[in-house]
Amino acid sequence: METIRFIVPSIILLISVIYLILTFNLPESKVGNPTAAMNYPLLIGFSLLGLSVLYILSEIKDKKKTFTAFKIFADKELTIKVIVVLVFCLGYTLLFERIGFLISTVLFLGALLFLINGRRKWLMNITVAVLFSFISWYTFAELLSVSLP
Amino acid sequence: MGVDWNSFFEGLTTAMSLQNIIFIILGGLLGTIVGMLPGLGPATAIAVLIPITFGMDSTSALVLLGAIYYGAMYGGSRSSILINTPGDGSAIAATFDGYPMTRKGQAGQALTLATIASLIGGTIAIVGFVFLAQPLANFALRFGPAEYFFLLLFTLSAVVSLAKGNMIKGFVSMALGLLITTIGVDSQSGVYRYTFDIPHLSEGIDFLVVIIGIYAVGEVLYNILLLNDDSQRIKESVGKTWITKEQWKRSFWPMIRQSPVGFLIGILPGAGGSIASMISYSTEQQLSKKSDEFGKGAPEGLAAPESSNNAAAVGAFIPMLTMGIPGSGTTAVILGALIMLGLQPGPMLFQNQPDVVWTFINSLFIGNIALVIMNILLIGVLIKILKTPPKVLYPIILVLAFIGTYTLGYSIVDFAILMIFGVIGLFMKILNIPTAPLILAVIIGHQLEQNFRMASVSYDNVFAMMTASPIAILFAVLTVSSVFLPMILGRLSRVKVNNKG
Repeated sequence: METIRFIVPSIILLISVIYLILTFNLPESKVGNPTAAMNYPLLIGFSLLGLSVLYILSEIKDKKKTFTAFKIFADKELTIKVIVVLVFCLGYTLLFERIGFLISTVLFLGALLFLINGRRKWLMNITVAVLFSFISWYTFAELLSVSLP
Repeated sequence: MGVDWNSFFEGLTTAMSLQNIIFIILGGLLGTIVGMLPGLGPATAIAVLIPITFGMDSTSALVLLGAIYYGAMYGGSRSSILINTPGDGSAIAATFDGYPMTRKGQAGQALTLATIASLIGGTIAIVGFVFLAQPLANFALRFGPAEYFFLLLFTLSAVVSLAKGNMIKGFVSMALGLLITTIGVDSQSGVYRYTFDIPHLSEGIDFLVVIIGIYAVGEVLYNILLLNDDSQRIKESVGKTWITKEQWKRSFWPMIRQSPVGFLIGILPGAGGSIASMISYSTEQQLSKKSDEFGKGAPEGLAAPESSNNAAAVGAFIPMLTMGIPGSGTTAVILGALIMLGLQPGPMLFQNQPDVVWTFINSLFIGNIALVIMNILLIGVLIKILKTPPKVLYPIILVLAFIGTYTLGYSIVDFAILMIFGVIGLFMKILNIPTAPLILAVIIGHQLEQNFRMASVSYDNVFAMMTASPIAILFAVLTVSSVFLPMILGRLSRVKVNNKG
């Protein structure tokens, strides 16, 4: 049996268990009913637990069918690109408030464009990154008075 | 009861103001462009473009959002027709006969026909809206916590039950959404729940961050995985733009018939454009004398679902504005934006801010006409935009998602949340787990909990809550049947097939 099909349902099961443990450890309310803040989360936690078990059971039932969902990751090059995109997002998160909106956005967008659009179109990438970052900074910071770092 | 004509005409005047007309055109154009991009539908269009409404007055913001929604509906059918890739569920039916028309060299005519059908559907539905919205709002005033609780529960279960054969995944998605809404300080007791000592989390997770994460980041990540897929390229020639007399004759009655159908389906929570367009398509196929041409480029096969889904889009605004109940992922996103802008959709909206409501309704009508003009005159230009390389667009959408998120809470904690939900959205898409229940749950989860707790104070047990009033009974029954009816019907049809086999 392909165990890969159980990964996501198991993660959901784990989430529901952790959520329930956290719920049981919630502090009691000092006003009114002491358990008022945890009753509704308990209802949701147990529902999710039950549903994740059902999800696992439905995957067991489908075990004869081939599990094709993760075939999308077969293209290694593109899968790596998605991971790198996420790394860039993390980098943007870390740099955003430190070096300011304009520079971090030019770097982030430029990096994404070089990664996805390719190195050969470097002129287009640089133009789009600089122009778009400047226009969005102008629109948000100047026209809409949104404060950006 | 009845239509407040004074407010209606005042709304018409406001909607016709130069500023609002500009917003209608701008929103329509932006919506069309984003909606047209393969894989991106109205929900993404609105999620990405919400930040441009910040700083606007609430009426203009609603007008702009409505226009973006409408534009994205028009745009969605463009990519269905031209490249067989629907932006969202409601544009799927447009691929059945729209894409075959493109393959026959009738792309221009298919685009024009879809546009006219959308106009007719939208217009008929707006007339329905004018007459039905206020009576429904008055009716909604009779709702107490128990009634609201069951109505909200029914909305959730209805959205889940539409995930045919996928109900477990639908409920998992819903439960995850409800779980997210319990994060933060409990507003009734002041207890900190699941905040892990992160101050930013005490206010809870902003639903717009979840929406942008799932619809914008998730979709972009998914589309990057498909970059080498050649099926998303566009053909060069579009053929003639104007439709023939025969195409018009064959499409006219289907459009007129299916618009009210779509409108009524749109009003039901959870049903929305996808169901409306599918039902309209299959009904017309059964009614048609040339049913064998369906799926091979029959004009009525394109016109019927297109008029129906646009009518449904208008219908879906009724429960959203009158009761604060979004019937679909897209209206949920708009509802979220409205709350952000300080509007509280619900029965009192019609009494407290009639100007906002009626301006919006009138703007829908003007928007429809503006979009038809834009879509027909600009067919050539729009196709060129569709040819803008996705490799440039996806990075831009990602950056927009981050900027939009930052403007919501001015905190990079939201960036981390955005990325988490982007990855969740990607896996949900890959595993075919419906996202609409999660989005809906994230938006109405807080309301659901508050109404549940208020009702549990007033009534001793769930049964007493269920039998609080005829309305509560009705929605409780509807909730239960929306869960079990599809299961029973599914079983019955399988038994039938087995017997035949």
